[in-house]
Amino acid sequence: MKKIVSLLLAMIMIFALAACGQSAAPAPAATEAPAAVEEPAAESAPVEEAAPAEEPAPETDALVVDTCILKEADDAMINNYSLLAVNPDAPFVDADGNAVADVELNTVGAAALINWLLSEEGQNLAANYGFEEYGEYLFYLKDGRPVSTAEIPEATEETKHIRLSTTTSVNDSGLLGYLLPIFEEKYGYEVEVYSAGTGKSIANAKMGNADLILVHSKKQEEAFIADGFSYVIDGMETERLNWMYNYFVLCGPSADPAGVKDAADVKAAFKAIADGKFTFISRGDGSGTHTKELSLWPEELGITAEAESFKDYTDWYVSANTGMGACLVMAEEMGAYILTDKATFLTFVANDGVMG
Amino acid sequence: MGSSIRKAIELILSADPELLNILSTTAKVCLTSSILALVLGVPVGILLGAERFPGRKVLLVLNRTLIGMPPVVCGLLFYMLFSGVGPFRHLHWLFTVKLMILAQVVLITPIIIGVMETFVADTAPALRETARGLGFGRMKEYRLLMNECLYSIFSAYLLSFARAIAEVGAVAMVGGAIAWKTNVMTTAIMMYTNRGSFTLGIALGLILLTLSLLVNIVLSVMQGRLSR
Repeated sequence: MKKIVSLLLAMIMIFALAACGQSAAPAPAATEAPAAVEEPAAESAPVEEAAPAEEPAPETDALVVDTCILKEADDAMINNYSLLAVNPDAPFVDADGNAVADVELNTVGAAALINWLLSEEGQNLAANYGFEEYGEYLFYLKDGRPVSTAEIPEATEETKHIRLSTTTSVNDSGLLGYLLPIFEEKYGYEVEVYSAGTGKSIANAKMGNADLILVHSKKQEEAFIADGFSYVIDGMETERLNWMYNYFVLCGPSADPAGVKDAADVKAAFKAIADGKFTFISRGDGSGTHTKELSLWPEELGITAEAESFKDYTDWYVSANTGMGACLVMAEEMGAYILTDKATFLTFVANDGVMG
Repeated sequence: MGSSIRKAIELILSADPELLNILSTTAKVCLTSSILALVLGVPVGILLGAERFPGRKVLLVLNRTLIGMPPVVCGLLFYMLFSGVGPFRHLHWLFTVKLMILAQVVLITPIIIGVMETFVADTAPALRETARGLGFGRMKEYRLLMNECLYSIFSAYLLSFARAIAEVGAVAMVGGAIAWKTNVMTTAIMMYTNRGSFTLGIALGLILLTLSLLVNIVLSVMQGRLSR
């Protein structure tokens, strides 16, 4: 008897769940709202001005994003993405620091993927990505970028699995989800994407768990090369294949209490935030965005990745230690300033700040 | 919350292929690991509960310590062991379902041992007296004990299944949350949370809880039948 009652109860719960969902009548517009929310040219256009044109949004929890781009397209804000093949003869060491000589890497597969991404086809696809969905290009091709014309071999049983260790922004913006299936379909490879902040991605490669990396922190990439973990693949001139870029943008509340809009350049803008002690959300996770942010603070503050270095600033400097999207949600809720890559920010605004 | 529930239902109704893949990976990992842990843990737990031998106390203390092992530490350990530079690198197990199962078995087995030991230590003395009084041999005595244990074996399994399906630290470390390969429900929820897609995270959470509820209903009904 008891069993029947509990089964019935469970059924009722499931039906109740289903009923809730149906009665609310799926409104796809909420998630697929067009992204033309902020004008690309006018840096100051507050988001609300464009937003009311959207449907009245029946739900109570739909936000209107107040956070907007305050500073962009500054030379100091260029966000360079590079490909690096992992060197099979790199000085790998195990956890105790003993040398490990026979780390197995798929160099053929790594070279194939690099050559495809740098081929005319791969480059065009990357350059055009995002326009349809967001009304803006998310990534730009760099002048003087490496171009590959090399023949790409079909996958074999041994070279089939390619391990790509990469940063969250290229994955979360949907770029890899768009490019890789085309490559896989054409040549028969399977690319396994390990996505984490640049710091963790590089650490993963140093442990011999990746065949190539796609990251965006020049400093960390150069250290990776200097330590001998990368090598020049056939037909290329350098280890660091920097072929695409976009911009970091400094975002904050539309009211802009620190007045960063009027700052002469981005460094002055960061100084204004620090001087006024306005809340700033830092990624704090060793990612490429975090590394860039650290380089923009006035030097006398001495802010580094070490927790010790910002212990006196905790009243306004928030080290969140989480992904870009989660940090944007925080910034929106706290009315804080934040440094973000533009691709993630556009996705955030396009989804009404729900990132859903 | 309302939009999350709607999202969850939309996701299920649309039979999104990525969601289905995540669900099947989740099922594979937590069913296999909890069953393996059961097979390993029950005999050890019964032996520890029923027998008295030197070193038993030490084993019990060690086991209780292992029950408290943080999943992320277990994951980190296996990540290091099976890494490209680790001692077991030639197996190529890192970022595979196999290693996720192994890590979970290591996490769950101590729980099963603990539950079984507690139950058996409680029942064994009285049962042994009865068995000896009836003149049963050692084998028959154990069979009787197993019979008595059936209900608590189910309880132990429910506990270990719950741990397996809810666990995120270890599977995220050794699985790498790779799409179409090692992404399970909990790591997908983590991923969406990091991205700031809280609604989608809660939607997946609701699906996970509903599935867990269904499995638990089935197992509980079986438990009731079997132990009667």
